[in-house]
Amino acid sequence: MIYLIFDSLIDFSRSRETSDKIRFVSLAWQEQLIEANREMVAQWNKANPDSEVEYIQSSWSSIYDYLITSFETDGVPDIFHYESTIIVDFANRGYLTDLAPFIEEEMKNDIVDVAWASVTQPSGEINGIPFLMESWVGLYNKDIFERNNIEPPTIEKPWTWEKVMEIGVQLNHDTDQDGRIDQWGIGMGLRNSANLIMNHSISFGGSFFTKENGKYVVRVGDEEKALLNSIMKMYQELKCMAPESIGKSGTEIIPGFMRGRYSMVIGIGAAMRQQLVENAPEGFNWGVMPPLVSKTQKTGINTQTYSIPKKSKKQKDAFDFIRFAFNTENMAKLARSDWMLPARKSCFELPPFNTANDGWEIVTKSVDHLTVGPWLGTPGYSEWKGRVANPILQELYAGRFSVDEAAERIEIESNLVLSRYQRNK
Amino acid sequence: MQINNVQGMVLKGIKQIIMLILLIYLVFPFIWLVSISFKSTAEILTGGIHVIPKDFYFDHYRSILNDSNLIQSVFNSLVVSIFSMTITVMIALPAAYSLVRFKTNIKNAVLGWILASQIFPAILVIIPLYMVLRYLHLTDSIFGLTMVYVVWELPFVLWMLYGYIKNIPLELEEAAFIDGATKLQYVYRILFPVIMPAIGATAIFAFIISWNEFLFALVLMKNPENVTLPVQLSRFTGMEGQARIGLLAAASCLATIPSLILFTFIRKGFKSGLMTGSVKV
Repeated sequence: MIYLIFDSLIDFSRSRETSDKIRFVSLAWQEQLIEANREMVAQWNKANPDSEVEYIQSSWSSIYDYLITSFETDGVPDIFHYESTIIVDFANRGYLTDLAPFIEEEMKNDIVDVAWASVTQPSGEINGIPFLMESWVGLYNKDIFERNNIEPPTIEKPWTWEKVMEIGVQLNHDTDQDGRIDQWGIGMGLRNSANLIMNHSISFGGSFFTKENGKYVVRVGDEEKALLNSIMKMYQELKCMAPESIGKSGTEIIPGFMRGRYSMVIGIGAAMRQQLVENAPEGFNWGVMPPLVSKTQKTGINTQTYSIPKKSKKQKDAFDFIRFAFNTENMAKLARSDWMLPARKSCFELPPFNTANDGWEIVTKSVDHLTVGPWLGTPGYSEWKGRVANPILQELYAGRFSVDEAAERIEIESNLVLSRYQRNK
Repeated sequence: MQINNVQGMVLKGIKQIIMLILLIYLVFPFIWLVSISFKSTAEILTGGIHVIPKDFYFDHYRSILNDSNLIQSVFNSLVVSIFSMTITVMIALPAAYSLVRFKTNIKNAVLGWILASQIFPAILVIIPLYMVLRYLHLTDSIFGLTMVYVVWELPFVLWMLYGYIKNIPLELEEAAFIDGATKLQYVYRILFPVIMPAIGATAIFAFIISWNEFLFALVLMKNPENVTLPVQLSRFTGMEGQARIGLLAAASCLATIPSLILFTFIRKGFKSGLMTGSVKV
């Protein structure tokens, strides 16, 4: 009986031979983007029967473990989709192919400089081709603004953080007269907010990460504390930010916005517009606000990339597919499907990225304010985010200590983590 | 007497209420999962807390059932779980019997190793395991994954069966031998029926371990056709905690059906088997 069981199991296994195609691991999870990817792969395979691509869908939550074990055990895909902050770490460990020799002038000139900067090492090595960029915008409820005679910000006249606070206070209302505010001025997804804080601190002049004696360290000074002070002011002093903000992520804030609980949502990724377009109730009118201004209007960039592992045996063929996938037409399709910005300048000229509908014009213009964060390339950044930054920020929002105390703790604990990654440098 | 009756009734009432609260606590997440699976995404995000959907929405189930990858992954999980459960129990049963009945010098060391092997988390062994399997050409294969699950479940199943068989009186065995039964006849005609409840309980544990396992399946299976259900379900989630909630709920509901069917069949055996197998090393 044992023999029968083993025999049938082996037969079943044997029927699934792995193919010799170019293995492309994608993190597309939205239906439209998955469809766009599949169409693109089908087009490529029809035109290139000798170097067909196999589309493999993975997930954001498991891709890191999948790739790390692949890199260590040779079971690598030929192309994988990921993001710039993480692939820098992989590149530092020697897992990725330098794509610089493959890139021709046309692609080099057409992809925006700030996107290239997010994937280029100090040595000039390029470990991923950027294709999607996330920008940070705000959302507002048009009906609430109209009822209160508030003119929304525009590309030409963006709001400052102070202006947002002023309007936020004005828009707090107890609509059902039960003594409790049920329409808040501001909602903000502050759960696991390290990414948000890093990217928005840039406009206050904050950097957090710097180099001392050739090594990365974290320093939290007045400019780094400025955004944290603003958030705590909105939350504790002015009370114009909904209290549940500290426990919700950007995604989780959107349903409340759609129900009219928040007049504005700030510090949100532009891709969240998709939720509103597809799921907002009938008659819900919303608009997009440009990034907020402090000393500047700059925010940090996070790009999504395609990379080729060093151990791939089909590097040239893999890059041929990347070149096809990232031509203007395909990149525009991928970007629209995911409600994000394409990295190519030629895509910005296309009508879908310049329409006023769904805030595309404002989102496209926000490219001008994107910049590379100084943490890019820092070894141990992922661990720092999860182990140091997010927990301390959560404790700060919960009122366990002051901003100054949080700053002190962030410095001490960050440098302990970073020193571990830079021991041999 | 009357006071005792009243006290008895009050106590019974309190017990019933506690059981009801516990039942709601345990079952409500599943009820909510089913409820979400029948709601449109718009209603899930903005519709408030209603168990009964305002409008029943079947498109999530239609999408799931049209997704051949998901159906394939359910089939893969079923194959892997059933085979690993069967092989594990077939190996663990005679092994447990041997450990109980045969006195050897290494018995305590073997029992100690069984316990010690439970300490290692999967993430610690995954890379060397992958290298061994690659050497044997067993990566990205259902057979390879099944063998990994057998090795992973065996200590736990063996430990449970060991405890159960230890409680079976030696006199039963001796009586069988006196009546002329061979060892094999004793095992199959007397021991096997007696420990059927334990086999049912351990089989279902083994099945659940394989059915829910994620990390080994994620790392070892690269071909999309070989992906198991937990890995396939993870693909409904995006960055920063975003998820296609309705689809995920529908897929999760469908994913529980095989476990529910299996549990229904083995339920009686599981109940009595659960109370036995307490270890006396």
